[in-house]
Amino acid sequence: MQRNYIEFLLDESLHKISWDSNQKLKPTTTLLQYLRSLPNHKGTKEGCAEGDCGACTVVVATLNNQNQLSYKAVNSCLIFLPQIHGKQIITVENLSQGQRLHPVQLSMVSMDASQCGFCTPGFIMSLFALYKEPGTSTDKDIQYALAGNLCRCTGYQSILNAARVALKNKGRDKFSEKEAETIELLKQINREPALFSTEQQHYFQPTHCSDALELKQKYSNALLISGNSDIGLKVTKKNELLPLIIDLSEIQELNKIIALPQGVYIGSNTSLNQIKNELKESYPALHKILAVFGSKQIREVATLGGNISSASPIGDTLPVLMAYNAQVILRSVSGKRNLMLSDFITSYRKTQLRPDEIIEQVFIPKPEENRFYDVEKISKRTDLDISTVSAALQLKIENKQIKSIQLYFGGMASYTQTANHTQDFLKGKPWTIDTLTQAGAYLEKDFAPISDARAQAEGRMLFAKNLLLKFWQNHQKNQHHD
Amino acid sequence: MTKKVVHESSSMHVTGKAQYIDDMLLPENALTGYVVTSQIAHGRLMGFNLDEAKNTPGVHAVLCYRDIPGTNQMGAIAHDETTLVEHTIQFIGQALFLIAAVDEETAKLAASKITTEIEELEPVVTIEQAMEKGLQLNPPVVMQRGDCESALAQSQQVIEATITSGAQEHWYLETQVAVAQPLELNDMKVYSSTQHPTETQALIAEALYIGRHQVEVETRRLGGAFGGKETQANMVAIWASLLAQATQRTVKIRLFRDDDQQMTGKRHPFLTKFKVGFTKEGKITAYRVSFNANAGYSTDLSMAILARARTHAENAYFIPDIYIESTAWRTNLPSNTAFRGFGGPQGIHAIEEAIERIAQFLGKDAAEIRYLNFYQKEINNTTPYGELIENNHLETIWNKITKTSDYTKRKSQVDAFNQTSQFVKRGISLTPVKFGISFNTPFLNQAGALVNIYTDGSVVVHHGGIEMGQGLYTKMAQVVSEELGVPFDKIRVVATSTQNIPNTSATAASSGTDLNGMAVKNATDQLKDRISKFLATYWTNESKHTINQEDILFENNDVLVANQPELQLSFTETVNLLYQNRINLSARGFYSTPNLYFDKATQQGRPFHYFVFGMAVSEVELDVLTGKHRILQTDILHDTGLSINENLDIGQIEGAFIQGLGWCTTEEIKWDNKGRMLNHSPDTYKIPGIRDIPEIFRVSLLDNAPNPNTIKQSKAVGEPPFIHAFSVFFAIKYAVAAVKNHKVYPELNIPATHEKIVMAIEKLKQE
Repeated sequence: MQRNYIEFLLDESLHKISWDSNQKLKPTTTLLQYLRSLPNHKGTKEGCAEGDCGACTVVVATLNNQNQLSYKAVNSCLIFLPQIHGKQIITVENLSQGQRLHPVQLSMVSMDASQCGFCTPGFIMSLFALYKEPGTSTDKDIQYALAGNLCRCTGYQSILNAARVALKNKGRDKFSEKEAETIELLKQINREPALFSTEQQHYFQPTHCSDALELKQKYSNALLISGNSDIGLKVTKKNELLPLIIDLSEIQELNKIIALPQGVYIGSNTSLNQIKNELKESYPALHKILAVFGSKQIREVATLGGNISSASPIGDTLPVLMAYNAQVILRSVSGKRNLMLSDFITSYRKTQLRPDEIIEQVFIPKPEENRFYDVEKISKRTDLDISTVSAALQLKIENKQIKSIQLYFGGMASYTQTANHTQDFLKGKPWTIDTLTQAGAYLEKDFAPISDARAQAEGRMLFAKNLLLKFWQNHQKNQHHD
Repeated sequence: MTKKVVHESSSMHVTGKAQYIDDMLLPENALTGYVVTSQIAHGRLMGFNLDEAKNTPGVHAVLCYRDIPGTNQMGAIAHDETTLVEHTIQFIGQALFLIAAVDEETAKLAASKITTEIEELEPVVTIEQAMEKGLQLNPPVVMQRGDCESALAQSQQVIEATITSGAQEHWYLETQVAVAQPLELNDMKVYSSTQHPTETQALIAEALYIGRHQVEVETRRLGGAFGGKETQANMVAIWASLLAQATQRTVKIRLFRDDDQQMTGKRHPFLTKFKVGFTKEGKITAYRVSFNANAGYSTDLSMAILARARTHAENAYFIPDIYIESTAWRTNLPSNTAFRGFGGPQGIHAIEEAIERIAQFLGKDAAEIRYLNFYQKEINNTTPYGELIENNHLETIWNKITKTSDYTKRKSQVDAFNQTSQFVKRGISLTPVKFGISFNTPFLNQAGALVNIYTDGSVVVHHGGIEMGQGLYTKMAQVVSEELGVPFDKIRVVATSTQNIPNTSATAASSGTDLNGMAVKNATDQLKDRISKFLATYWTNESKHTINQEDILFENNDVLVANQPELQLSFTETVNLLYQNRINLSARGFYSTPNLYFDKATQQGRPFHYFVFGMAVSEVELDVLTGKHRILQTDILHDTGLSINENLDIGQIEGAFIQGLGWCTTEEIKWDNKGRMLNHSPDTYKIPGIRDIPEIFRVSLLDNAPNPNTIKQSKAVGEPPFIHAFSVFFAIKYAVAAVKNHKVYPELNIPATHEKIVMAIEKLKQE
């Protein structure tokens, strides 16, 4: 029999939720909804129910491959209950010991870092996760960690100061004391594949890729989820009832980064944060875009496979992956196939993924020598904002002439597209600011952007033109560095 | 006074124990309230059928306007807002029907079963459209001094311009919420996240057709408000009360974020035209300004907001001949409302634009033009509405901040940098604020308090103010602690309730501490008087020599006469003694701000108790290609009188500044021509994040600046520092103008989004 329950650690004891006949919770009930239904976890707040404010931030402690605990701050509003199976959930109520506050709490009090207090639990949890990260935390680390938490009262200065104080000397805390015990409790939890069913919903949680493929073949209309930072919105914002879900998040095989001489294979389940941290040196342009992708809470759960398959017109990672000539590796019961990412995406939110397939890996070839790769993103706010326009570049210059150039734009068309006319014009021309200024006119042949909440068509086109010059400027800087 | 006291709720905030209304544990049978709203901006509701919705299992009530026992009206001042639409639909998000059900899902299911017949009409969305159709909410109001027209005609130079500023969503973290609980005798207790419990109470009573004595509104804390819960909290509380009365069960309504953003009012967008005359030195000789506000569908607070725009039209500058006109325009949007600054920022925006344009025209530094035009101490010290500016600190603040920010040197460094940098430009700007404190409407400037001493020496404080994060409860406890000499932990400031303190004003206009602090002190004065009077007699009898009441002190939890150790009792012993002697240990305090008057017909008077002053210097670095910018440094020097709590005040200044920064830069709301808001969630509406704040951010309080005749000689702090964000806005504009070496004044309005910045630069390049 398949597992039909989840088990997780909350308030230092194991909790079990079974989807038997009288279970009122849905498998798509969010962790936030669940916590707020409990009498003692009202500290976790709903600010937006879309991962855009961080008020619902909790920390999830997970056993990693070495059987150690890793603590991650996540938005509880975008996590379905089955996704907390086998994990420890830590909320703002759990940090203090009696009257004794945790260092992150103490400094938020002493530095006057709360005003109305509604966002405070979220900030506390983001800071707590950072406190539990090994090593020292720089100001930049603090800003990255808190970019997913909005505060409307303080202006952040006091919070930043509190964070500096709390993280200056990371010490042991009550969680360190209990770590061995926690690990033992989590290890006991059964990690079999699961199916959670109600009258209206079936939610599969396979643990092996082969099982997932069989399920996908059988239920080709099932919705695939992993980090749930995008699909979750269907529930929290659109009130959709998702009848059939295959949750890939427990498949460890899909959660690997394998670096080989010819390039890197990234499992589709790999979190964007992990990619950001591990590929900083080898794929700097990818790192650059991931640093301003959503927030740390989002990146902890959002996967590369998820971002690619959404085929969004903006799709923050898409232009840069295309510039790196990335390929997607698709698998079904009947085999696997490779496609260039630029071919994989066919139109507005449409891909070549067949109903029985899943994205297994993304392959990014090793960047070629003497080529310049770059990416730029323009959004209203630096963090936690989707691109208005983004662009990526692969460039080869020989004798000051453009030998080859690839340009990909997000936010300029119904899906990420290459700028063919512009590229054709530029090829063979000198790599100068004049050429790139002239090339702007060709972007008008390539794109006819729309006006929406983020920008006007006119503004988008201007951004796109300016980004050509920005690439020139970045290239100049890069040359100086070399 | 002990100024280092942390926010009374801070340890509850950080542990998640601070309870907000949505966190309350409700009775098992409590229901979820849900509001069915209009999806069109303008139309007529011709018919509807609620039968199927009512028959949905789990639904306990579906109400339309006919089910309202009292008046179908919830306008706070003008009675021009229907609680539920009867006939005319005026905006997207307007309430049509109410549903009470066992849970939200059931309520939404029921909502989907409602059928309506609606005739759609053409909506009016923009100020320009409203102007074209002549949709004035009220006739324009004019405030003036001298003869502006002839002064303009005689001015050496005249510049005119049209500028705009956009709507701003409050984005309080806690959305609108209320819990209504029916009591015996048809009474109603309502927990409401409101800045104005008395008004919420009054409107509920009118809707339910019961007396105000039958409605109690209680509020412990708000998860942010910023003006957005001054009137906009009323509707949710009224709707919940109607459903609670109909079902005789507890009903909670909490708005979902997107619904909150779509249904509630914003900061008013302004379209402002001005004409400024000046000398070749840059002295302003005449200023004519016309403010046009997009009021939305109803009056709400628009007329008061325009009054504040008018009284701040000249900011910190003396302008001899001035003509200020303001008009509110009716559109098919939610009714725009109070937001920190309350029209002040929009009013100040125009005169600061005028200054910048004068500076650009004359090729001078804008700061120099500002200085030249500041209000002075002995002459040129009367506002256009006839109020004398006393205790003017502009000169002092200027002298200090230009020094501490090293303004002049950095200005020349900025100019030098721009000479050699093509794609990155820098800008620096110094901007002042002079902000009038008091509600513009004189009668609102009153407050009540109730202080109870118990016989164990502990104290409970009631007052009419609302704690929304600003630390009002903390400051009130500090006042009591200092007055009675009782330690902080023996004082509780408890939830604000209309049953304990009646007929209060909104906690708004930055006035919370000023008004309630004085009311609280009035109560403790009475208690101290009773105690010292009793003890003087008691000790005179005991010690056989005369003890004067005036010599009795309240210190360190004791009551004593200095240097007479035998004449000392603990506070607890003292209050017990009074209790044994049947003396009242409870006192009601009251305060009304003295000497305020304003003649609406002549627009002259003394509307403000005093003025707050401050200045900011900001330096930015702008990426010319992307419009992105970093704030390299902001220095703020701000006047809080003798601050009651310096850390709380600095928190208010920093927070207001960043909120103003959002209004000036990233926060943009657009509507389509059907009146549908495009930026209705944080997905596309962007308030500042932690990486948007200045890299060096220094806030100082002006020292040695006691404010006469206020609580502990302090000053209000909530709104004035919002204005400091103009220093960033104009620094950005300076960097933009540097692209054309300041030869052309850039066209850049509020908000200066990255998009608007690059478009302004493009336009400059093509000039």
